[in-house]
Amino acid sequence: MKRKRYISLYLKETASVMRNEFKTIFTDEGVMLILIFAIFIYSTLYGLAYGSQVLRNVPIGVVDNSKTPESRELAMSFDAGPNTYIAYEPADMEEARQLFYDREIYGIVYIPEDYAKKLLNGTQATVSVYCDASYFLMYRQVFQETVGALNDMGTTVELQRLVAQGINLPQAEAVSQPVIYQSHNLFNPYLGYGSFLMPAVIMLIIQQTLLLGIGMIGGTWREFDIYSRLTPKGESRMSTLPVVFGKALTYLIVSALTASYILSLHYHFYHYPMNGAPLTVAALVFPYLLACIFLAITLSTLFSHRENSLLWMLWSSIFILLLSGVSFPADAIPESLRVVAKVFPSSYAVPAFVRVQDMGASFVDILPEIRALWRQVFVYGGMALIAMHFTLNDRLRARLRRRLDKRVGRQ
Amino acid sequence: MRELRRMAEFKMQLMLMFVLPLVSFACFSLIFRNNIENLPIAVLDEDHTQLSRQLKMMVGETPTAMIKYEVQDMEEAMKLMRQGKVYAVLQIPTSFEKSILGNSQTHVEFYNSGANLSTNGLLARDVQTAVTTFSTGVQLQLLQARGLTYSQAMAMARPVSFDKHVLFNPFVNYSYYLAPSLLAMMLLIFTVMSTVYAFGTELKYSTAGEWLATARGSITAAITGKMIPITVSMLFMTLAMYVVVFGIIGAPMNGSFAMLVAAALVFVLSYQAIGIFAVAVFANLRLALSFGGGYSVLAFTFSGLTFPTMAMYGGMRIFSLLFPFTFYMRIYVDIAMRGAPAAYALPNLGYMMLFQLLPLLLLRRMRRLCLNEKYWGKL
Repeated sequence: MKRKRYISLYLKETASVMRNEFKTIFTDEGVMLILIFAIFIYSTLYGLAYGSQVLRNVPIGVVDNSKTPESRELAMSFDAGPNTYIAYEPADMEEARQLFYDREIYGIVYIPEDYAKKLLNGTQATVSVYCDASYFLMYRQVFQETVGALNDMGTTVELQRLVAQGINLPQAEAVSQPVIYQSHNLFNPYLGYGSFLMPAVIMLIIQQTLLLGIGMIGGTWREFDIYSRLTPKGESRMSTLPVVFGKALTYLIVSALTASYILSLHYHFYHYPMNGAPLTVAALVFPYLLACIFLAITLSTLFSHRENSLLWMLWSSIFILLLSGVSFPADAIPESLRVVAKVFPSSYAVPAFVRVQDMGASFVDILPEIRALWRQVFVYGGMALIAMHFTLNDRLRARLRRRLDKRVGRQ
Repeated sequence: MRELRRMAEFKMQLMLMFVLPLVSFACFSLIFRNNIENLPIAVLDEDHTQLSRQLKMMVGETPTAMIKYEVQDMEEAMKLMRQGKVYAVLQIPTSFEKSILGNSQTHVEFYNSGANLSTNGLLARDVQTAVTTFSTGVQLQLLQARGLTYSQAMAMARPVSFDKHVLFNPFVNYSYYLAPSLLAMMLLIFTVMSTVYAFGTELKYSTAGEWLATARGSITAAITGKMIPITVSMLFMTLAMYVVVFGIIGAPMNGSFAMLVAAALVFVLSYQAIGIFAVAVFANLRLALSFGGGYSVLAFTFSGLTFPTMAMYGGMRIFSLLFPFTFYMRIYVDIAMRGAPAAYALPNLGYMMLFQLLPLLLLRRMRRLCLNEKYWGKL
């Protein structure tokens, strides 16, 4: 009899928590902005920023002091590749430097006077390449294009010389280039920037918006004492279980909807790699969402005002992105910080998600991460229950004290 | 004076202005003190000879690559990659040594994961260099075997040699490039947040009228009074930031330090202006914070530091001009890394100053917000 009463009470409380949460999410502009719209806005803006995916045609300058057909040929070869083009042909290095500071060019090739002469003499000619490492992507494109062109030119010249010495062609080839080096880029063959960054960023946005949004709701509950307002008549306080699970279920429904928008429509629209089996993706995303939600509920009990979640946690977004090993390889992160990183579900989910979507990793391949996420679900779920239990008790005590004070005051 | 007293009351304000920025700087300096090295790769050696071992050794000795696994077939290598244990696979074919000694061409295949562009770039560079060096060594021996002297052989093997000059970041150090910008991001986030918080709480807790009264009804004086403590604390944070960047991380500093500090000051002021603007527009602490936060975080992407604005679509390029951060980073790169004369910073400094005009447009609205109780006490 008693048990039945509890069950019906729990169900009633869960329902009232869920009703209240849905209402907050859809009527509170602040929460709606973070929990729902932020995902759309960020994914769209980032998607547009990286829309072109690759950097092509970086302007470079060639200082050609040789002014011979041979040096022309070399200069033209820089123009031929997709990554660089010759925007200027400055007369000397001083002028080139000026153009560089003015951000007209991002690399300089210097061909010395004696280039053609040395080439014809059979001695070694030296060309100088200046590339700028203050912008990494620029550096990479300029470096690869110019050095690649120079190596090709060297091989061609050597081959011609060897053949001129009367060596037959296959042998000359073997001498001029004994080892052919072939580099293949797997999974992201054109090295698209969006395809590289966006899967990680999307996962991170999901986590951060949940932490911020739920934190904001938690702050609101405390600031406006919704805990006591939702208490059913005749009960001294709300039970812990329905509050935590009612909240979690509500957020899970909302975030599952936004996440499935991102993973289907958004992904299609921007052509991000989706090589993972849908079931594997789901097996990863489901515990990820749950872990984020329980972590967020735990943290949300700490915020006494609604704005506090933003103030405390916004800055950490960039830090967590770094910790997840995207812009800075995980192997280079100090051990102590890797321990800190384990707190956040994203540190497991981001690398696993990237491997599933980019490389088509299977469920077994990401099993260690999925296990870790489920561990987090249970740990944070437990913590959320404990934290909520204490919050509710504190509320109760505070209310009793107030009532007591009033009665004392009346007397 | 009222500001200082009020600050003592709002603990959060002090957190935003002093504690959290320093904590974040400390976190970042921990990460960036490490260099990126010894990224794990796998090798599929189908040859198992003296020469293939030598090549493996040369690859393993490069700063970024470390051979962690020797695999038996490509299937195993791909599995390691999908499990996230290696970033790349080097394949040395059978009869590698036989071909070299027998005067015919052979090849080496390098499979590099494109899923992470930062490791991809570093590994591509180092492994290519190692294989090219190996190949040149083989050539020299082959040519010397044909009776050429060493220098003749060298001229033959590399008729066009090049000397590479990496400008401004000679060790191509990833931290030197990422750390200054991320710390500046922290600076701007905390500037915006503490500004919005300082203003927004006046509205939320219905003290705006009192605030204006302290300034004898002058909204300009009220704003200035509120701004100064934040500006001063952020200036201290700027100095702390440069201590971390140049002192702890050891990034190069080739230009005028005074100019950099001046740029950071203008940068902070611009973001304060944006913070005031946000509060004036939304008249609501929480919305202004959400907007300010969202806007702050976007700055990094659109600054063009990682993905150059040059490569973005036209509309997005204009969008990048909406963030003072873009201009600040240009100044930083010009002055600190490239060692450009200080004059190069002036146009960018000018653009940043334009942002400071924003609150002036809304002075009257600000005043109305402070006087009209209708705007107070909103959530």
